[in-house]
Parts: sequence; structure tokens; C-alpha cells
Amino acid sequence: MSADSVPPLISAQINYLLSHSPFSIKVDNAWSGCKNSSLLDRFTLVIPFCLDFIRWDVIYNAHYPLAAPDIIFGPEDDNFNPLLGDGEGDKKTLKNCLSDWNSKDPTRLMSLIHELRELYSLYQKKRVADVDDHRLKFEISTILSREGIEMYLSSGIEKPEEVKFAVPLIGMDINRMVHSCTWKHQQKIYLQVIFPVSRKLAPAPAPHLKLVSTPELKALFSIEDVKLPSWLDGMCLAEYLPALEETIEEQILEAVSLIGVRRNFIEALSLVFGRPVEADPVFCRKTSALVASGVFTFLVHFHLSSQFPKQQPALILQSSQHFNSQGAPVRSPLITDYPWSPRWELSQMAERILGVLELQEVLQRDSTSLGIDLDHVVAAK
Amino acid sequence: MQMEEPQVQKIAIYGPTLASILQRFSSASGDADGLLFGHVSRITPTLSDDDNSATSLTTVATVTSFFISGTINSFYNSSGELNLVSLQNLVSSFGKHPDNLLGWISCRRKTPLRPSMREYYVTSNLSRTFLNCSIFILFSTPLIDSLIHTHEYRAFQFSKITNSFEPKQIDVVNIGPAFRSHYSSFCPHSTFPMLPCELRGSSAMVEDSADSKAESSNHAKSVAKDQKELDNWALGFEVGKLNQMLGSEAANYTENVEKLYENMLAKLEGLARLVEKSSALVLEQENHNMKLRYKVAGLE
Repeated sequence: MSADSVPPLISAQINYLLSHSPFSIKVDNAWSGCKNSSLLDRFTLVIPFCLDFIRWDVIYNAHYPLAAPDIIFGPEDDNFNPLLGDGEGDKKTLKNCLSDWNSKDPTRLMSLIHELRELYSLYQKKRVADVDDHRLKFEISTILSREGIEMYLSSGIEKPEEVKFAVPLIGMDINRMVHSCTWKHQQKIYLQVIFPVSRKLAPAPAPHLKLVSTPELKALFSIEDVKLPSWLDGMCLAEYLPALEETIEEQILEAVSLIGVRRNFIEALSLVFGRPVEADPVFCRKTSALVASGVFTFLVHFHLSSQFPKQQPALILQSSQHFNSQGAPVRSPLITDYPWSPRWELSQMAERILGVLELQEVLQRDSTSLGIDLDHVVAAK
Repeated sequence: MQMEEPQVQKIAIYGPTLASILQRFSSASGDADGLLFGHVSRITPTLSDDDNSATSLTTVATVTSFFISGTINSFYNSSGELNLVSLQNLVSSFGKHPDNLLGWISCRRKTPLRPSMREYYVTSNLSRTFLNCSIFILFSTPLIDSLIHTHEYRAFQFSKITNSFEPKQIDVVNIGPAFRSHYSSFCPHSTFPMLPCELRGSSAMVEDSADSKAESSNHAKSVAKDQKELDNWALGFEVGKLNQMLGSEAANYTENVEKLYENMLAKLEGLARLVEKSSALVLEQENHNMKLRYKVAGLE
């Protein structure tokens, strides 16, 4: 038994939760509640909710390995008592989950956390529904039919009261649109809407809007590039969403078609540079080729942005013969400033890049523009 | 039993009681839970020069004794449902009436001082099952180890109407003018019977009516019962025998008394040895249990 270890039964439950949960959960901190040993039996889970995070303490007991864990919710959720509240059906599932606890079944912690998160979502929805704000009540009644909306009422002593909505956009399965994609989680795009709560009859101010996507979606397209349509006075979400969804759908279709363009470009490169040493086969955002000029051989790394071919590839040259004092290969800075036109044929683009590189290489020979101090070079010549 | 519990303004606990709860908690190997016994009373603060608080009645829940199980889930299960049989057994094994049950305690190391999901439900169930049983005291230790030992505790009363906890002030009762009211509201309970303090001949003064005859015979019965109980404590040395300490039989009698004391001492020593042996057995069993639990947890 090593010091500061998580008992095997508990660790199996945590590992299953971390690797199998459809939304990514993190363990923030783990510590021990035992008197004489340092068995880690309590930890904080960071759970995504409504485009934010909630932190729950999970309290196991290393000395009573067969007992179900207990949960301490956040300090602002004093009134969230999932075992008490209304809704017999939901309570029953949770109670069964706890009373039929089987510590040898690694899936149990995940089902407990999922069940609780579901109940927490209902609890927040109920809190939001109880807010005395006409606009909010109207918004809720008009977007009731949309599935998967999460709501959160945040209120602090110093902060003004506001209601956050996380509205999942578009029904398309992005994961299936990308050929042989490697994403572990389902990719999603949300619109975050923050309504300031106003109890007066005065016209309600425009909500704060922001697009958010799952982080891995960056490989396909960047959500920051989407321009939000403007929110007109007296507008409601039900009016606003269709136009926004249409724009995003178009952009995603375009982004998916751009993968094909990049793939073709990488193929065009191989006619000029030879077979790539390495290439990103799914999103085609990166490729590397080995180039030789006389006795000097070097790698060229191509970084293709999601805006390719509008934006030219960024290049990095890496010597295969020169190393710096730490033993790392000498690299050039990012090269982005060279003649480029998106209207060229892909093969012409490849040839032009080769031209740029030859020029760079000549420069390097003359002035060691790669930044090589020849005294420290371990040359293979 | 669906009566709303009285709103408690304060929770009073005697210093030694609090200290022994803390001691039990810090000697437990893991987390532990327990029960709180006591009573709810309305106290009129006594007027004094050094007390300028309002003179209205204050409802105080006074903790007089407790029980700490040394384990978790001792009278409820993992989902917080009460195990009424074990709860009743626990209460009666302490010679208490369920009405004395004031609430419960949860001791868990290095956790935030907020009631957990299970604690909510256990408290709610207790307050719905027992009269006056709505107090919950949470004990914990700081999240970060330090050289100074700190005990953290927080008391709550659970409200059945709002289904929520209200934090309550804990008064550690000590001697001093501020606590005078506690002592004036003190009423003693003892298993030791009242000593019959009757003057011989006083019955002659009483008029011989039928009523008083029945009363005195009743009284005599209860005196006899108390006497028997007292004699039981003194092992056959009835109070009546005390007059043998005078006169010719005195020397003989002293010998008998000495013999009695010797027997008592021998008995005490035997008892001490018995306690020692059983403590060793308990410790052995606890270690064995711990090993078994570690085995179940795959920690060997």
C-alpha cells in the first residue's frame, strides 16, 4: 500500500467516470479523510454545466469501502436537496442508485453523477421559472420546445441578478460529417444568452450573446469567426435563433468542404516535395516534408488554417543537421509573409512555395538567417 | 407527530459534553455519526447588572448527552433512509425516551462545513419521525493541515416547512452569571431513590381518617420499595443494622463491615480485570474488522 494512494475500488470508479462520461469531467483535488493513513478518499469534481462549471465534493470513506459516497454541493446551492424535493420518479432513481450501491461496479459513480446533474438542471430550471420577470417568462414559454437547453440563475450579494441560458444550436451531427474523425466527445455549438433580470415594466435591455463550441471543434472551424446577427429591440430568442442557425450551418458545411481542399493541396505538395514525412489525415491542418538542397537537408512544416486557401499556409523550416546548445533542432521563425493568391491552382501554390523556400535556403547559406551560430553547430558534414 | 417543532433560538451544550464529542471524533479512524439527547426549554433570562439582553423568553435546545457510533451509516442507509429498529435500540440502550432525541451529529474530516446531500435527508427524516428532533451539528477539521489543532463545528435546525437548514448559535455552557438561568432551570434526574426522611411519631400527629390511611399505606409501600432498592446497593446491610454499631455487638459488627468492604474491593478488582480483558478483545476485534475492510477495499 503506497502512501497517498487512491484505494483501488474508488480509483476504478473515478477512472471510469473520467474516461466514459459524454461531457468531460475533471478531478480538481483529492485528499484523505483518514486519521492514520493517507488513503485519498475525497475529491472535488469539476462538472460542466450551462457553459460554466459546478464543483461538487465527493466524500468516500476509505474505511467503509462498501458504503456509497456522499456529495457536498456548492455553497450557493444550499437549497438543492435532490433526495428531498418534489418529483417522486427522479428521487426514486437516485435513492435506488445510492441504496443499491455496489462498490465493485466501476460504472456506479458515473451514473450517480449523471443522475444528480440531471436533477440539478431541473432545479435550476425551476429557480429560473420562479424569477418574477415578464420577458424571461415569455422567452421560456416560446423556446420550451427546444431540447437540451440549460439554465442557471446566478445571484450574488454584489452582482446583479442574471439568468444564463445555454442553447444548443443546429441539429446536425458534426462528428459524422467529418470523415473518420477522431473526436471522443460529440461536438456541439451553443449560444450563451445572459439576460439581466429586471423586475420593472421598462423595456428589457438586450441580452448578452456569445457563441461557444466544444474546444476540439477548433480543428474544423473557429467559432470566433462567426459574426452574430444583431439583436433588434423587442426581439425574442425564438425569432433570433433560426437565422443564426442557418448561418452556422452554412459555415460548417463550408468548413467540412474545405477539408477536401486542404487534402488536395497536400496531395499537390507531394508532387513537388515528394511524399510527406507526416500529415494530419483527418482535418488536413498539418503536413511536413523533407527537402534537400545540396548537402543541406531540412524539414518544412506546413500549418494550414481553417481559412485555407484564403489564408496562406504558415511555414517553419527545421534543420535536420543543426542543433542548438540544448540539443534541439534549429528552427526558423514562422514564415507567413510571402506572395500568395487564393485564386492560384493548387499545383501553382505548391510550386510557388518551393520557390520561396529556395530563396530562403540561399539566404540561409549566405547569412545563416535560420539563426545558426556556426561555432555551436554540430554539423554532419 | 406532524407537529411543527418549536423554533430554537440557541443550542446550549455543556463544555465537557462538547469536549467529549470532539475527543470521540478525533479518536475515530474515519468519519463518524451519532445522536444528541437533551431537551428543549424556554428560559427566562435572569436580570442582572451585566446582562442587558431582552427579557423575553428564549427557546433553547440543551444537549445533555450524546452517543457517537464511531462509524458511518449507523442508523440510516446510504440513501439516508432511517433504520428505525436500530435507532430505537440505540435510544433505549441509553435509557432514553425517543422524546429526548434532540438530533444527530456528523463528524467528517477535512470537508466543508455545509450539510451534505445525505445529511439533509437524514435530518429531514429524523424531524418527521420524532418530536423535537431537528438539530444537526456538523463537526469537521480544516482542509489544510496545520500545526495547530482546530476543531470546526456548526449547528443547524431543520425546518420541515421550508425543508431547509437554519444555522444556530451554539452556547457552550459554563459557570458564570450569563448562564445562571441554565442552573435555575436545572432539574435533577437520578436512578438513586429518594431517602425516606421520616420522623418517627409524626404519624401520631395525623388525624386518623380513612383517606389518610390509604394514602399512608401507599406511601409506606413506595418507601419499602425504595428501601429495598437501597439495600440492594448496600448488599444486605440494611439501614436498620446501623444500630449494631453501638453496644456490646460493636466489635463483632466492625469485623463484619470490614469483611463487606474487602468483598466489595475484590469485586471491584474482578470487575476492573474483566473490563481490561474485554477492552483487549474489543481492540483485537476492531483491528480484525479493519483488516477485513481493507481486504474488501483491495488494499492488502
